[in-house]
Amino acid sequence: MAFEALFKPIQIGSQTIRNRVVSTAHAEVYATDGGMTTDRYVKYYEEKAKGGCGLCICGGSSIVSIDSPQGWWSSVNLSTDRIIPHFQNLADAVHKHGGKIMIQITHMGRRSRWDGYDWSTLLSPSGIREPVHRSTCKTIEVEEIHRIIHDFTQAARRAKEGGLDGVELSAVHQHLIDQFWSPRVNKRTDEWGGTFENRMRFGLEVLKAVRAEVGDDFVVGMRITGDEFHPDGLTHEDMKQIAAYYDATGMVDYFGVVGSGCDTHNTLANVIPNMSFPPEPFLHLASGIKEVVNVPVIHAQNIKDPNQAQRILEGGYVDLVGMTRAHIADPHIIAKIKNNQIDQIKQCVGANYCIDRQYQGLDVLCIQNAATSREYMGLPHIIEKTEGPKRKVVVVGGGPAGMEAARVCAERGHDVTLFEAGEQIGGQITIASKAPQRDQIAGITRWYQLELNRLEVDQRLGTRADEATIQDLRPDVVILATGGRPFLTQVPEWGYDADTDKSLVVSTWDILEGRVEPGKNVLIFDTICEFSGVSAADYLADKGAKVEIVTDDIKPGAAVGGTTFPTYYRSLYEKEVIMTSDLALHKVYREGDSLVAVLENEYTGALEERVVDQVVVENGVRPDETLYYALKERSRNKGQTDIEALYAIKPQPCLQEPGEGFALFRLGDCTAPRNTHAAIYDALRLCKDF
Amino acid sequence: MLDTLLPILLFSALLLAAIGAVRRVRLWRQGRPSSVPVIKGLMQVPRRYLVDLHHVVERDKYISHTHVATAGGFVLAALLAIVVHGFGLQSAILGWVLLAATTSMFIGSLLVAKRRSPPPSRLSKGPWMRLPKSLMAFSLGMFAVTLPTAGILPEGVFQSGLGWIAALVLAAVIVWGLGEMFFGMTWGGPMKHAFAGALHLAFHRRPERFSDGTGGEHRSTGLKALKLDDDNAKLGVEKPADFTWNQLLGFDACVQCGRCEAMCPAFAAGQPLNPKKLIQDMVVGMAGGSDAKYYGSPYPGKPVGEHEGHPHGPIVARQGTSLVDPETLWSCTTCRACVEECPMMIEHVDAIVDMRRFLTLEHGNTPNKGAEVLDNLIATDNPGGFDPDSRLHWAADLNLPLMADKQEADVLLWLGDGVFDMRNQRTLRAFISVLRAANVDFAVLGNEERDSGDVARRLGDEATFQTLARRNIQTLSRYRFARIVTCDPHSFHVLKNEYGELGTAQTPADYHVQHHSTYISELVSANKLTFKAWKGGSVTYHDPCYLGRYNGEYEAPRDVLKALGIEIKEMARSGYRSRCCGGGGGAPITDIPGKQRIPDMRMEDVRETGADLVAVGCPQCTAMLEGVVEPRAGIKDIAELVADALIIETPADQSPQRQQAPAAPRPALEVAS
Repeated sequence: MAFEALFKPIQIGSQTIRNRVVSTAHAEVYATDGGMTTDRYVKYYEEKAKGGCGLCICGGSSIVSIDSPQGWWSSVNLSTDRIIPHFQNLADAVHKHGGKIMIQITHMGRRSRWDGYDWSTLLSPSGIREPVHRSTCKTIEVEEIHRIIHDFTQAARRAKEGGLDGVELSAVHQHLIDQFWSPRVNKRTDEWGGTFENRMRFGLEVLKAVRAEVGDDFVVGMRITGDEFHPDGLTHEDMKQIAAYYDATGMVDYFGVVGSGCDTHNTLANVIPNMSFPPEPFLHLASGIKEVVNVPVIHAQNIKDPNQAQRILEGGYVDLVGMTRAHIADPHIIAKIKNNQIDQIKQCVGANYCIDRQYQGLDVLCIQNAATSREYMGLPHIIEKTEGPKRKVVVVGGGPAGMEAARVCAERGHDVTLFEAGEQIGGQITIASKAPQRDQIAGITRWYQLELNRLEVDQRLGTRADEATIQDLRPDVVILATGGRPFLTQVPEWGYDADTDKSLVVSTWDILEGRVEPGKNVLIFDTICEFSGVSAADYLADKGAKVEIVTDDIKPGAAVGGTTFPTYYRSLYEKEVIMTSDLALHKVYREGDSLVAVLENEYTGALEERVVDQVVVENGVRPDETLYYALKERSRNKGQTDIEALYAIKPQPCLQEPGEGFALFRLGDCTAPRNTHAAIYDALRLCKDF
Repeated sequence: MLDTLLPILLFSALLLAAIGAVRRVRLWRQGRPSSVPVIKGLMQVPRRYLVDLHHVVERDKYISHTHVATAGGFVLAALLAIVVHGFGLQSAILGWVLLAATTSMFIGSLLVAKRRSPPPSRLSKGPWMRLPKSLMAFSLGMFAVTLPTAGILPEGVFQSGLGWIAALVLAAVIVWGLGEMFFGMTWGGPMKHAFAGALHLAFHRRPERFSDGTGGEHRSTGLKALKLDDDNAKLGVEKPADFTWNQLLGFDACVQCGRCEAMCPAFAAGQPLNPKKLIQDMVVGMAGGSDAKYYGSPYPGKPVGEHEGHPHGPIVARQGTSLVDPETLWSCTTCRACVEECPMMIEHVDAIVDMRRFLTLEHGNTPNKGAEVLDNLIATDNPGGFDPDSRLHWAADLNLPLMADKQEADVLLWLGDGVFDMRNQRTLRAFISVLRAANVDFAVLGNEERDSGDVARRLGDEATFQTLARRNIQTLSRYRFARIVTCDPHSFHVLKNEYGELGTAQTPADYHVQHHSTYISELVSANKLTFKAWKGGSVTYHDPCYLGRYNGEYEAPRDVLKALGIEIKEMARSGYRSRCCGGGGGAPITDIPGKQRIPDMRMEDVRETGADLVAVGCPQCTAMLEGVVEPRAGIKDIAELVADALIIETPADQSPQRQQAPAAPRPALEVAS
């Protein structure tokens, strides 16, 4: 049997976990209604359990006390008995499918924001400010320490009364417990600071009190860092000492180990390694902890592939693997392994759309799986065949919207033809994957390619569809997902010309697709501040160009998420790319062999010039609407999507009613430029009822 | 003249036949002893012939009618000829009856001739091609010489001038007929089948196969245990003389009709096995000589004339060739299609396993993965070499009740080695959800269960089989249960049919064993299950060999599918003629190459029905058929189809802590598939 190590059950405290795969604690941002695990939350975890996940540890940073604010990230609120019946729903939903569910509980101390909700005064051992949240805090008093220890016990009681299988004490990411551990933050001289024993005291008292409250038939685990990666922070040796110390109490049922601290932007990027990291970059730290403890060790960080997971477990590095983003991308990953459908697993590509939304307080969503966390709305992970008529569906454009539309329609059992003008599918994902450290995003396309082949979609590559070719196929449904083109005509002074030899500016697409040779001295003007600008800068610098990236926004890459801009910055600074903010590209003109870019200061209006040999402009995408307007009048619905039905995830009325001709829909950037998730979400919710 | 000549001819032929018979019997007696009730056996022959054997023969109506006419006519004609022409009892009435008998025989011989012009490939040629003419010679000759007896021709007609010539011609024709029919019968001609066949019926090694007029199943398919307690005894069959004498007799009864060849999956796949040739090779070996005088289809890829044997020489040479090459023996899937088809009730599979026993136990020569699998079985109690304590790993989330905890249950669920296979785990999960939906009181042995021994036994490792079986019997003896139910027809077969012989007075091993389809069928009849309407496509059903042919269960799986609302599109080869998937008898382990794969052929049978899905009831079949490259029909176990259709009134709450309120009816949910 393959994957033997992966499917070997393991005992964690009183609980038998059916396999070695864990969805580790992460902030979902779904606990609305004041931190309650409502329908969306329950269905999200139920899907993982149904998909075969062994253990779900839900509720990253779920709070035990009201002065650890939950509203910013809609985290779970265990400070009230109101949570208990919600937990019962959650526990039942997971247990029904043979899974186990625990919750992470914590007091975040200083690691939060104070400027909202109850306007809490944040607490920390010595009142030292936290940089990531720019949060100031008070020095915690002994009375407050005892109150919070009691709050931990009550939170654990609520979890147990709600039928959950355990709690995980968060002592990672610089929450209150590890704030006490760290001499960098804990400068106390009383019995709660100073010596090792004193710094350990708060965590130990929490552990003892929680264990006394819940007894032995309830799992109590601890999540710790393996190394804070701060010069003055807790080292790996420190953490081994700490882990061994708590393990020796016999009260901890497992340890979860995370590499890196995360109270700076740069360390935070390590915690959820994006696609620029190698596989399991911090496994050695977890393995080091496993050396010194007697209970199971869980490790999650960039473990996305079943073979990788099997290799890690077989090698005995850790006892359980966290495959959290892997489950966000595909909650049925385990079932697909068991069903011998490994090629059908939608593998996480490390785009970190999920976590980067979370850091902004937005609900966690997957860049490539629009059904994740929308199970409660009726969006399916497994698309069922239609019981209605089999339709002829023509999809034009093989980018994210077109690929998803073709996939979903084919899964519904329709006869699908996909036109793609390029020689391969993927659309802008293909362009994005050309940048250094971004190649893995092509995994999104790889999955679609495998699925479209499996579903026998007629793929007409290198074929530009026009009215006649579409009409010839006598379609019932036409879906346009033709995307757009870089929008370089907006400012005539930029001197754009469709002929690249004449044009004064080129697009980031021209650069990344290799249509234009990289210059030697390049100015990139990026007003969009998402991935394409910094990707082009990284690409050009990688090819040896001297690069300055200029934006009129607050900083280059401003719209790139919190776990991803640091890895771009690491690369750009290392390659001596100059990053300049607050300047807009006013004009470009030619002077001899050189180009002169005139830049205008956003705040003073002052002009300055750069003499370069190449100007690259990132000004977003202009939709390609030609085919749409050519077909619109002939379509039965005049190209209109019923947005009430779309938003309510209901069938499009025009397909339910009798009518002449084909129905016409537009998806993705050919309507208005948005992002990959938007394109895939629209495609799924539109096509799932075809 | 004929009056003088005919008795001489008849009695000479009978004398020669008697001498031949003695010689033939002595050939058989080279085999090992086997005690049989001689008189009782002989008394049974008419019934066994007219009832049991006739059932098989009658599947081919043409040849059945032909045989009744020919053989019936011959037997009667031969007896009357002895009376009338041998002893000279010139009764007109007897003459008329003799004329009728020879007429019947003649008509039959015309039909035999028709069947052989030209003969289908499964029939042997050579001497067999002259048989219809010989039959005609005997019947025409006897008819002609009997005409005066019946008063149709005047007495003394053969004494006139022309009559003399006619008499001489007739005498020659009768010599030919008698030579074939009397002399040939015991000296190795085609008619040998009548002589050896009749005695084979009398002294068959599996008398249980024959009906006794009291009704009930008459099936005997379990392999017979090898006695392992004698350290000096040879294990298995090395040379023809190592077979028991009645096995040799059985081989000699072969009529070379080739029905076995036509049904053999290995032969069809181009693997070097032809059951008919194998039996003929045993006859060659018993008599000594080469296979050059075999006139049927050879083993695919092995020309005739290159092998020879001797009663006391090895059947399989350690090096080079002797009578049979080892790959011939290892090609067999033990599907029993040959045995099922054989009108002479020859036991091919017994013989093959006997010879495999020698190769495995005495030579240690089990090909390809065979040795590894057997080592695994010895070391880990399972063929895959998995940790024996990991049998329930797949079910960690199912909280299966253990026999060790419960001690007693209505159903002991025998999981089989499919627990180590992710595909079969889905089947087991499905069946467990069915058991739970029907509120069945069941329990499993868990890590106490061991491989049933099926594969070890079919690979010839009788010692490992007996060890595994005895340990399982010991384990089972500790618990109380009304029945054993299993999703694995191989486990089902050995538990039901092969453990019994290994039971003891303290630990009897006669269990009530059921295949899961049989048990589900009972649950359906008892209204314990409710189903959603079937919405899937068309379905065909593949009969597993070890469920169907081995155990006669053809109806229960079909009843279950019908209960689901499925109308089965039957394959041309289904029921007792189902084509093997290629997975039995350790064949996937010994993996003898052929021209095509057996499961590919089976999926082609499926494709011909146009079915979208093939329902199966065996982990081996599932694995083999799913191994066929797509596009092909989907493959689902009956348990999966039933579980998918279940309507469960209350959700199966896995958490022991709390009872859940009843919810609206919903389909059974398990791990997503």
